[in-house]
Amino acid sequence: MNDFAALVPQRLVWDKAEDGAPASLVAALARNAAEYPDRIAFRERVYGIWQEQSWREVLGEILAIAAGLERHGLVPGMALTVIGDNRPRLYYAMLAAGMLRAFPSPVFPDVPPDELKVYTENGAPDVAIAEDQEQVDKLLELRARIGRPKTIVYDDPRGLGLYTETGVMSFDALIADGIARLKDDPGLAADLLSRAKADDIVVLLHSSGTTGKPKGIPLRQRNVARGVVNAQKSGYFALHEELFAYLPTAWVGDFVFTVGAGLMMVATINIPERQETALHDLREAAPTFYLAAPRAWDQMLTRIQVGMQNATPLKRKLYEWFMPRAIELEKKRLAHQPISLGDRITEIAGDVFVRAPLRDWLGLSRAQRVFTGGEALGEDTFLFFRALGINLKQFYGQTETCALTAAQPDDRVKLHTVGRPMVGVEMKLDDNGEILIKSPSVVDGYYDDPEGSAKAIVDGWLHTGDAGQIDADGDLVVLGRVSEVVRTASGERFIPGFIENRIKFSPYVRNVAVFGAGRDELTAIVCIDFDAVGNWAEDRRISYTSYADLSQKPEVADLIASVLAHVNVLQPPSLAIRRFVNLHKDFDADDGEITRTRKLRRNTIEDHYATLIAALYSGVREIDFDARITYETGEVGTIRRRLIINEVAR
Amino acid sequence: MFYRRAGIRHTRYEDERQLFPLTFDRVLIIAILVLLLSAPFWVERLYLVGYMVPWLIWSGAALGLNLLMGGAGQIHLGYGAVIGIGAYTSVHLVRFGVPLELAMIAGGLMSALIGSIFGAAALRVKGIYLAMATLAMQYIVDFFTQTKIISGGSLATLQVPPVSFLGISLKGDVATYYFCFGVTFLIALYMLNIRRTSFGRALAAVREKDYAAQILGVSTYRYKLLAFWVSSFIGGVVGSVLAVAYLRAISPDQFHLELSVQLLAMVIVGGLGSVLGPFLGAALILFAPIVLNNALGAAASAFGTDIPIDLRAHMPLLAYGLMIVLFLLYEPLGLAKIYDNFRKYLLVWPFRHAQK
Repeated sequence: MNDFAALVPQRLVWDKAEDGAPASLVAALARNAAEYPDRIAFRERVYGIWQEQSWREVLGEILAIAAGLERHGLVPGMALTVIGDNRPRLYYAMLAAGMLRAFPSPVFPDVPPDELKVYTENGAPDVAIAEDQEQVDKLLELRARIGRPKTIVYDDPRGLGLYTETGVMSFDALIADGIARLKDDPGLAADLLSRAKADDIVVLLHSSGTTGKPKGIPLRQRNVARGVVNAQKSGYFALHEELFAYLPTAWVGDFVFTVGAGLMMVATINIPERQETALHDLREAAPTFYLAAPRAWDQMLTRIQVGMQNATPLKRKLYEWFMPRAIELEKKRLAHQPISLGDRITEIAGDVFVRAPLRDWLGLSRAQRVFTGGEALGEDTFLFFRALGINLKQFYGQTETCALTAAQPDDRVKLHTVGRPMVGVEMKLDDNGEILIKSPSVVDGYYDDPEGSAKAIVDGWLHTGDAGQIDADGDLVVLGRVSEVVRTASGERFIPGFIENRIKFSPYVRNVAVFGAGRDELTAIVCIDFDAVGNWAEDRRISYTSYADLSQKPEVADLIASVLAHVNVLQPPSLAIRRFVNLHKDFDADDGEITRTRKLRRNTIEDHYATLIAALYSGVREIDFDARITYETGEVGTIRRRLIINEVAR
Repeated sequence: MFYRRAGIRHTRYEDERQLFPLTFDRVLIIAILVLLLSAPFWVERLYLVGYMVPWLIWSGAALGLNLLMGGAGQIHLGYGAVIGIGAYTSVHLVRFGVPLELAMIAGGLMSALIGSIFGAAALRVKGIYLAMATLAMQYIVDFFTQTKIISGGSLATLQVPPVSFLGISLKGDVATYYFCFGVTFLIALYMLNIRRTSFGRALAAVREKDYAAQILGVSTYRYKLLAFWVSSFIGGVVGSVLAVAYLRAISPDQFHLELSVQLLAMVIVGGLGSVLGPFLGAALILFAPIVLNNALGAAASAFGTDIPIDLRAHMPLLAYGLMIVLFLLYEPLGLAKIYDNFRKYLLVWPFRHAQK
């Protein structure tokens, strides 16, 4: 093992903002190494045990990586492609790039080689950091096509021993080069620490590209640093959090809430062994701060519901008795209604029998600040987790504001709102109801796109594209994308995403697309949840062979019809879903039907399934549908399926 | 329901092997230890001496036998004789003026020596044949203990002089209780830890299939003998504790086949290979007849029925036998397994099984 702590200069100085907080993430790193040298900074699970590194060691390793990267061609203003799952050295490399006044540009690890080109255009990255062989192969393919990146540094050497391509090197070799440079030049470490400025780009992210090509969004050091400090002043972060780094590194949520908050709040960042073990490792890490996308909360809820369906009678009865009561009580709490003594007793008993064991099983028993964001979370899911005793709150933000715009304070948790603007955030609605934001965390503009920047940011106000309104208490309600509001033939306004979220609360539905713009009635394409419906079918002795087979079973059609009928009750009659089809496969990011962050790409779906949608409105009972499938290799094939069109009872 | 596992993480593999990683298990064990340590202050003297002390001693003996049977998979029908050797050796030494501490170890060594000689039979024979070989040991040792030079004759009683352990006289009930508690605690601690040593794993390999263990490089010759040596040593030490702390006067008939079978029953009913098992098994075998007898007596007088005196003497034994048969039918792995099932039921609460 390298003695990284010895590489840290004796005297550390760092830039401070007016209120004394570090002005940049590099400054925060120096502050942490100086003031909390022995506090655990990163904790990574390797072969079942957690490897810990203190702030001083982390700074030493980052200095070595920075010195190594500089030697291998990373220059100020250049992007550094980072592709892979959450690994400490990938994070270190991101921070090392910041030291060199270059900037990391993380890419989703499941991006296919074709799309990789789009994500590596901005900043002309000549150096890339890859997690493992899979990513190295992709980058080599990219290099064969466009001649970049020249240097590829990999973290996990498995399978790479015999690679002879030039410029492919291991992290160990990079670090060894860096250490050699630092030892030759005693002033280098202090020099590396002094270069970064608050105005430098700290990370280049990309918009999810729900509509068209992703845009480069450069966050600057001061955006993240000030954003986190303002969120702390609003009470959404605390010093010395335990964080859990499992979100995709290319999502703003991971960079700001894991790296940004981790450095500024002197937190401990826990990194799971692999994506597949993340849920298990979450229980071992037991974070105090936890952020998950609505998708993940829905999945957690499904896991609990499936587990409870299989539970032994006593356990299941207790759950079925206590959980609905807990949810009712939570509703009362949120409505600020008086709570009776009986309710309290039920709550305590429910805590012993159901809620505390479930919180412990999830690994959220210590979590004090728990958030959901990115898109709307189904009300029922939201209520369920709050009723479980987890202080789940909504936050609202865009990549352009470092995801730090608004959140719910403890006493203002409501089902429909996203809370209030954080400290330092100014917000207003324009005449169309679009939300406009001005805050220190708002970016200056898009990368290399003055036209787009001028459109999105006018006089310092960011046009979010979200339709919103302020409710009677002064809390912000986000209705949906301004562009997503559509009307039926009779002129009724609705947002498909809103209805879809309601349907997706059912554990049996994994994805759904609702149609009806310009039509008389609403229809839906439903992707069943294979685990939950499979389990349901097994319980009823319905045999099936595959997802496609299961989805077309008449019993499953009845099941989904009952789910939709339940949602219809909550809808105005003119916006009830009348017909649906169970799709033979789930929507897939490789087919372009959903984004990597699992948002629906409505245009693509309407294009792919145009014949199917036409059939939904034509009144036929079934249709032979030629489905287009994109394989992971990038090849495209078609498959003919007979799909049954089902009616929802009125 | 009571088990909490969130936030338990290990930074070293050594930590992962700890005996009780879960807080609730630790709390439970500490609570039980506190109850046992404070027993002299809240348990009546009669119960302390008449119930708690024999329970602790028999549990210790059953733990020793369980190492051999549950740990190494070797059957032993002569464990009573092993205890007898330890008892007679140490009592004779104490009568010669040797301090108890040394006499206990000498008793253990003598038992280990003689026990291992008979245990050598295990190198050649298995299963029912080993049972016969160890049964032979029981009778051969019985024959020798009846000689004048060892016990003074088959009906003679050998008095234990007043002794002290580490300077504390074992005359009083409380001191005796703590002495027994200490010895059994040490044996239990040893048994808990042995499973995570190379010795414990080698024994497990021999238990599962001895020639497979040999192929894997575990010397069955060495480990079978070692198992007999260690198990017999523990038996000898417990024998000396039994003599000086409970019986206080020993005669050959106290170490006959009946004691061996009793210990065998404790191990099997308690749970082979478990550390908790011998404690539960000893409690059941020792106290169930007494409790059943009292219950039957109370029932008879309450309902005013006149049960013939000989039937009344035999009915508890019938019920006792039935109980053991039912326990083994319901859960062949013993009382410890029943506890383990219950613990797991709570551990995965509120689900049916561990969820991915």
